[in-house]
Amino acid sequence: MPTFKLNRRAALKGALGVSLALPALEIMLDSSGTAHAQGMPLPKRYLVCFDGQSLGGDDDPLRDDYVPNMVGRGYDLKSALAPLAANNIRDEVSVVSGLSIPTANGGAVPAAGRRDDFHVSSLSPLLSGVRSGDATTSMGPTSDQIAALTIAGNTPFKSLVYRVQVGWYLSVSAPYGRDIISYKADSNGKPVAIPPIVSPKAAFDAMFLNFTPPVDDAEAKRREFLLRSRRSVLDMVSGSAEKLIPKLGTADKLRMTQHMDEIRDLERRIVAIPPPAAGACQKPPSPGNDPPIGGPQATDVTSGGGFNINTGYSGEEERARAFCDLVYMAFACDLSRVGSLMFTMFQSHMNMYPLTGHRCDLHEIGHGGDPTSRGTLGVSKAIAWHVKHFAYLVQKFRDAPEGGGRLIDNSVLVLLHEGGHGLDTSSGKMNSSHSTENMACLIAGRAGGLSPGQHVVATGKHPANVLITAMNAAGVSGNLGEVTGNIPQLLM
Amino acid sequence: MRKTRHLSVLVTVVATGIVGACTGKIGDFGDNPGKPPATVPPGGTSDGGPPVGSSDAGGSSDAGVNPGKVGDYTGVGPNGMRRLTRVEYDNTIRDLLGDNARAGFSKLPEDATDPFDNDYKTQQVSGTLIEAAETLAQEASARLLADPVRRTSLVPCSPQGPSDAACMRSFINRFGRRALRRSLQEEDVQRFLAFQDFAVEAQDFWVGVDLVVRAMLQHPEFLYRIELGTPVSGKPGVFRLNPFEIATRLSYFVVGSTPSDALLDTAEKGGLDALDARRAAAKMLLTDRKARDRIDYFHALWLGYHQLPHPADLTSAMRAESAALVDRVTANPASDYFDLFRSEQTQVNDLLADHYGLPRPGSTTGAWVTYGSNPRRGILSHGSVLSAGAKFDDTSPTLRGVFVRTRLLCETVPPPPPIVNVDKPPAGDAGTCKVDRYASHANVGSCYGCHQLTDPIGFGLEAYDRTGAFRTHDKDAPACAISGEGELAGTGKFNGPAALANLLVSSGKLEACVVRQLYRYAMGRRELPADGPTLDLLTALFRQKSRSFEELVLDTVSSAAFVNRTEE
Repeated sequence: MPTFKLNRRAALKGALGVSLALPALEIMLDSSGTAHAQGMPLPKRYLVCFDGQSLGGDDDPLRDDYVPNMVGRGYDLKSALAPLAANNIRDEVSVVSGLSIPTANGGAVPAAGRRDDFHVSSLSPLLSGVRSGDATTSMGPTSDQIAALTIAGNTPFKSLVYRVQVGWYLSVSAPYGRDIISYKADSNGKPVAIPPIVSPKAAFDAMFLNFTPPVDDAEAKRREFLLRSRRSVLDMVSGSAEKLIPKLGTADKLRMTQHMDEIRDLERRIVAIPPPAAGACQKPPSPGNDPPIGGPQATDVTSGGGFNINTGYSGEEERARAFCDLVYMAFACDLSRVGSLMFTMFQSHMNMYPLTGHRCDLHEIGHGGDPTSRGTLGVSKAIAWHVKHFAYLVQKFRDAPEGGGRLIDNSVLVLLHEGGHGLDTSSGKMNSSHSTENMACLIAGRAGGLSPGQHVVATGKHPANVLITAMNAAGVSGNLGEVTGNIPQLLM
Repeated sequence: MRKTRHLSVLVTVVATGIVGACTGKIGDFGDNPGKPPATVPPGGTSDGGPPVGSSDAGGSSDAGVNPGKVGDYTGVGPNGMRRLTRVEYDNTIRDLLGDNARAGFSKLPEDATDPFDNDYKTQQVSGTLIEAAETLAQEASARLLADPVRRTSLVPCSPQGPSDAACMRSFINRFGRRALRRSLQEEDVQRFLAFQDFAVEAQDFWVGVDLVVRAMLQHPEFLYRIELGTPVSGKPGVFRLNPFEIATRLSYFVVGSTPSDALLDTAEKGGLDALDARRAAAKMLLTDRKARDRIDYFHALWLGYHQLPHPADLTSAMRAESAALVDRVTANPASDYFDLFRSEQTQVNDLLADHYGLPRPGSTTGAWVTYGSNPRRGILSHGSVLSAGAKFDDTSPTLRGVFVRTRLLCETVPPPPPIVNVDKPPAGDAGTCKVDRYASHANVGSCYGCHQLTDPIGFGLEAYDRTGAFRTHDKDAPACAISGEGELAGTGKFNGPAALANLLVSSGKLEACVVRQLYRYAMGRRELPADGPTLDLLTALFRQKSRSFEELVLDTVSSAAFVNRTEE
């Protein structure tokens, strides 16, 4: 429907007084969204998901109930991966096992390794491929932000950074980095944390409020007026920040510049032209108001006595679903091509009772916090909750038409876990959940020749090798931090 | 980057041969708990009344509590711009717009509490912040315009049509002064006036008002408290805050919200420059109900009970109990603040009385009762405070010890060495009592250094479980009787929270820590070496003035550090 395009272009051009490029997908696809136009390649999408948990439970000789016995295609599904059984999702997902992150083991932290103390020390090597430092934050930019530099193109949202677990849920401490998995590099190459959006409603509003085409001229005019006035307000605000900067001291200058840059980013996003509703791209239903935010847990609550099944939980089930829907539609509409989705925090203190029936928080499950569902099998029930949402996302991607194929043909999605199971080099204990031995992860999608549906045993490889494979598949060449090389079996 | 683990993790030592950082030496810079009180300069406060300096009369060279003598700019530290916390944001919207929606709390990024929520060094800029600020501004403005009474009260004129520039201008001037906490320059006014074009286009004056309000509420000078000041001659690097900046510091410190029109008027007339005038303004603010709330909130953050992990009825009873005691010892300037730690009475309802084993007062809302033969005394005996430092579904003697050391003595307890598993309590054979299991800390040489400073404190509180209820034996282990004997290493032995409170009071170290915690809250950051002289002086004054909390607040706002800054 070429006239629609012209109208959109003309109306927006008039409205904004600037000439804007139409969304790439609109040029690439015809109006039905099913065919390539001009033979241009379709954009690649990249998503990293995270589960703040190890694969096994303390003192349990069973390393995991995750890694299939069978290698290759048609692998068997154990309890942690049971949600992959429905709808043939297994065939879209590869399991990579045999991974590990090296530890200091009493000495210096090795390249791409971690300190011996467990929680958060795996964050940096796992997500950026750079060895952990003294702090609890990433020592390098993370793979999603590196990928965004190459593949985000002119999309309005250079990256989506979302988190499902709303709060830290402990009353006497703070997460200090356990709640963030995306870091970009500043102009000096220094990693800068990107705090995630935790409100599905805010995320929806930011992307989709003006999505539907206006029903008539009056509506179009009204919207144009609202957008123009909104822009004018933001322009005034960022201009005020800019005028302030020269008057400020050194440290404040830096903070105010970051603030101004974020406003400019928002300005850029709101003038982006909404994509045409075509093919898989449709305005999703609003997730509605966010579920209420729950109160804190006592420190490290477990089942005995004090565990309160009503706190430490804010409707994360609904929030996980809503964020999956948003990521999917943002990618399908080419509003964004890169994302990170943190389901649960490192050392997560989210109450798992509403999700899995455990009478303790996620972190304590690994430490035998619920005597009725402890050890590796107890842990696997909690992993399966994460896998369920990941599987839902993969199914959405698989079933969404794009060009002559499906969205998943141009996508890669990874699900990482905080740790594995084995030796805890801080205590010397075996069979510990505080370990980065025997790690595994999931990788889905068919971008760049990825061949999903296999169990690949990548003995001695680092989880960042999986991310490199994913990045390469998404069209991002090179390595990640201190880790080099991809895992070729995943590509055949 | 602040270390994460001061209360979030606890030490269970499994490793051997690690040299910990605790060799008995505790404390960071300026932490001189044993140091004799700083000398109070003669002439400053000998009458116990407000110290008035002669050089202050002109209102321009006020250097501090005792200008020209001790204040002298030596205790002035660096400060950067501070973003409104979520609580401050909601308070500010309430006071600016008469809007009680308190929407900021759920939309703005969570403030780190370590223990205070306003440490600007922990604040991060993010896309979430920017989007939340925009959404909140749009929604607050929409609610305002939908309410004819509120919107009329904000616009000091009757608009004569959409292009009524005079009316728009007077609105911008009036509202802008309150929102940005300063007088607007003509240049500022012109930029806001540009929004009137939209009013004309829409043929609706209120469209312009809407855009002005939205721009104000996203303005960097609204979201941040930006302090520029003017250079102090002869003091390179020192800046004297301008009157509006002082009004802003005063207001957010004392009432947790934006300065009122009246306070801005006072500031603009130079009425906060002179030290005695500033004290008077602060004293006036202290009579506001909001100041009581602010003081309550300060204590809740400091003593770790702003969020409690108990069922709602118990949580609210505990919060009400502590709020009542805090109010009692802070509202009356003649009260000895240390009654907070020694009070023989408490306000409980029937639920909490049962929890503590006190006679029921026959009230669901709470009434004052005397402890009498019940061994509890003061706030350390409250369930609220005793709830801090629980772990492994029980009390953690280590965490309670760390709590006393860091929150009440302002010492620094180093984090456990990296090769220590802090996720499990000390192990022991079945049937081993808790005190013996924790003895493993002391038996490992490298652990002893720190744990001798923390665990014995916690064991002195062991007879109170993690909800503050009394108990006689270990959790789930009737054979393990609890002696309740504890020790504050270097100070003395004690049994129970009341005795610990007495020990802390008589140690002579508590004053300096109270002063320091309040100072951190006032300045929105941890103290730095440059603040040392100010802290010493305030501590000396606190002692001299019979530990009046109100006087401490007034002396804090009287200090040079409160009205000057160095560049960060």
